[in-house]
Amino acid sequence: MTPTSLALTVNGKPRAVEDVPASERLLDTVRWRLGLKGTKEGCRSGDCGACTVLVDGVSMLSCLTLTHEVEGTSLTTIEGMADDPVGREVQNAFERAGALQCGYCTPGFVVALAGLLRERGRSATVDELLSDLGGNLCRCTGYLSIARAVALLRPEAP
Amino acid sequence: MHRLSFDRPRRRAAPSGGPLIASGRPDARTKLDGSAVFGADLDVPGMWWAALVPSPVAHGRLRSVDLSPARALEGVVAIGAADLAALLPGATGDPDRPIFPTDTVVYRNQPVAAVAAPTRELARRAARAVRVEVDPLPVISDLEQVFPDWPGSNAESSPYVAAHVRAREGDLDAIFQGAETVVRETYRTSSVHQVALEPHACLAEVKDGKWRVRTCTQTPFGTREDVASLLGVPEESVVVEGTWVGGGFGGKGAALLEPYALLLAKATGRPVRLALGYREEFLLGRTTLPSVIRMETAVTGGRIVGRRVRLLLDVGTSLPGRDFATGYSIGFLLGPYRTPVFEVEGYAVRTNKPAFGPHRAPFAPQCVFVLESHLDHVAREAGLDPLEFRAAHLWKEGDTTPLGQAVGPFGLVTAFELARATAAQWRADAGPDSGVGVAVGFWSTGTGAGGEVRLRLSPTDLTVVQGEREIGSGSVLAGIASVAARSLELPRERVSVAYEDTSSAPFDSGVFGSRTTAALGRAVQAASLTLLEEIGKRLGGSGPVHLAVRAGEIVAEQGSTRRPIRELCSDSERSAGGIVASGRHYGTSGTIDERKVEAGTFYPYTDFTGAAHAAQVTVDRATGTVRVTRYAAFHDVGTVIDPMTAPAQVEGGIVMGLGTALTEEALWSEDGRLLNAGLLDYRIPTLGEVPPIQVTFVEGFAGAGPFGAKGLGEPPMIPVPAAVALAVRDATGAHVTELPLSSERVARALKLL
Repeated sequence: MTPTSLALTVNGKPRAVEDVPASERLLDTVRWRLGLKGTKEGCRSGDCGACTVLVDGVSMLSCLTLTHEVEGTSLTTIEGMADDPVGREVQNAFERAGALQCGYCTPGFVVALAGLLRERGRSATVDELLSDLGGNLCRCTGYLSIARAVALLRPEAP
Repeated sequence: MHRLSFDRPRRRAAPSGGPLIASGRPDARTKLDGSAVFGADLDVPGMWWAALVPSPVAHGRLRSVDLSPARALEGVVAIGAADLAALLPGATGDPDRPIFPTDTVVYRNQPVAAVAAPTRELARRAARAVRVEVDPLPVISDLEQVFPDWPGSNAESSPYVAAHVRAREGDLDAIFQGAETVVRETYRTSSVHQVALEPHACLAEVKDGKWRVRTCTQTPFGTREDVASLLGVPEESVVVEGTWVGGGFGGKGAALLEPYALLLAKATGRPVRLALGYREEFLLGRTTLPSVIRMETAVTGGRIVGRRVRLLLDVGTSLPGRDFATGYSIGFLLGPYRTPVFEVEGYAVRTNKPAFGPHRAPFAPQCVFVLESHLDHVAREAGLDPLEFRAAHLWKEGDTTPLGQAVGPFGLVTAFELARATAAQWRADAGPDSGVGVAVGFWSTGTGAGGEVRLRLSPTDLTVVQGEREIGSGSVLAGIASVAARSLELPRERVSVAYEDTSSAPFDSGVFGSRTTAALGRAVQAASLTLLEEIGKRLGGSGPVHLAVRAGEIVAEQGSTRRPIRELCSDSERSAGGIVASGRHYGTSGTIDERKVEAGTFYPYTDFTGAAHAAQVTVDRATGTVRVTRYAAFHDVGTVIDPMTAPAQVEGGIVMGLGTALTEEALWSEDGRLLNAGLLDYRIPTLGEVPPIQVTFVEGFAGAGPFGAKGLGEPPMIPVPAAVALAVRDATGAHVTELPLSSERVARALKLL
């Protein structure tokens, strides 16, 4: 397999990456070619969620995604969250609820939750959102503060 | 489903010092926007990637490590034992802990060589290319292979024993013969892993005679000492810079990868990054290993009259003389209960696994599970009310522990009564197959490990300069900042905590043992006093000095005198950032009544903190699956220092404890292979499994920390497996004597009923 170049939009800006082997994972492209280290490498096997990114607004595990699969798409990482109204809302809720400790799983949670809010719209309940976040692992918080952050984003929910 | 609440701290006495200030985490933004650089994120131009070459067997005689196939790959540097003399001229290192083995390998995946290359892929390929030839030797994968029964009197000389401890008081045999009830039981606990989400990672550089390493460590100074000792180089030549730490839990409390990365940096002349993949994190991690524990208790007239505790603890490849776990943990099998006549004995048993290592309250949750389950069982066998029975024996202030430590201010009885009342309410509205358990645990904050800080008071802000990185608990950035703010009566937003590497930071022992806020907080208090004294001299009056913020700047007040710090700084201080004052705190550890000790070293607990937990569970009688439905925790914390991070510590510790209680179990094969080295097979709690948790602080039983604070990092984990096990027994009658309480074990216990 010959490495090839590909183009995609990263946090709103067009980017090209050169000589990407067919087997390269999006996680490695994001971290080591694009230099965006906010996307964390945890298990590298789809079990922890720390590497979650948005591909055309949908949350994906970048460790299980091949870079060539996302050619031409719009990629959003944790570094792009501040420019996104939903992302900012999620970050603010996490800060207010103290929903982080060591912070290693935090980018994955923020990106996954921003993706869910976009995907499911305003109708999603707290329980639905929490259920969909079940694939993101956190070892520090015991998840309750994260659940409180989600609840802050849904003030109308019971 | 998620009813979320925690109680406001329960105040039993007015705290000294300024008001508590609720505030957000100072590290929130950098962690939420992805800019925080963790060890795993380290990256510099020209950096090479490293990989370790693992031993293919758990025990064997090393015949050869052939690096030539790796070296034949273009751009690869490989090093093994034979290269150390050239890389470290004149250095001896630590003969007990060689960097690479030369004779035998003692655990599977033990690094036998290391490689570096310009790319990660090439480094991995080179590591796989190294030819390692080993003649296999018999593998000890289970301590019961060594000691199927309690060992005889000559066991101390066994090559499999890394430590032996024994202490006693009174004539236990006579007590057992005369007692109304004697209950004897055997328990087993499993191996559990810290599972910090960030695997170990570091970046090393050797330049100008300095061994420099950036690493995600809980102890920059401890790592410096470790690296110097392992490489055999002077401590002054090693500089350790901590990065953000993606979870520690004890697993990042000693050097692991740093020596290899530094040697490769020396060999290549380049910066070298060495980071573990998650599978390797499981395989090389030093953590809690299995145990077999025998408990014997004699009861007469509703009171404990004698106890015997026998512990066999798997310590992996821990070296004789270096085991810390046995003498430390065995006390958790005795206390916090008054025990007049006793005999305790423990062996640290060596097996072919990585050495036992600290894991959030190392081995205490397992010991407390055994102790609480056993005493509950003893009460039932003796026809006594289990909660009354345990309550009647709890340590109180003024008691002396079996090994002679004085119990100081201790809120355990208060916490226990609160937990008991909560459990009674829950029991009243419980459904079928539901049960409630109450368990207690204690911890010792006073490790005696010391630390120092430097305060810098500028005209507008206070900075605490110190040498620890925040590992997530908040103990450094929130804890130390809160103590400084209270000590100097400044608003929290005027206080920040700065980090420096080991070449310039004041010394500190490390973020472990629930000591950080307690010990470094005392250093902050000492520095604050020195700072106020110095300011007092400059003000020239007498009487107490107070700081305050007026019109945006910090002013000092003494009686009717008031001057801004701006005017009190000398020119040189102003250019250096402010008035500087240092403070240190080297605590005292407890003492042991040596008359009772017959062998080994016991750990002298001091500055006791206690917790009582209540758990409610439902048990599926068909499958044995346990679901925790409600949880309440009552913690004797002395004084709450930071109102946001304190309850967060308790919630997180409880959920980690639920993993130990129910699902977490590292499985070892007979040939010493870790079978479930991954997050899919080694199951930590997930979001949907967490019950609502109610956290209550019992304040007013002052500890040795600042404003009477006690440590809080580890205690929340300790009573959890016990509380869950007692709830399972309450629900079903199943008496499970092994951890974790997996569905399989609970189902088996139910069938035996």
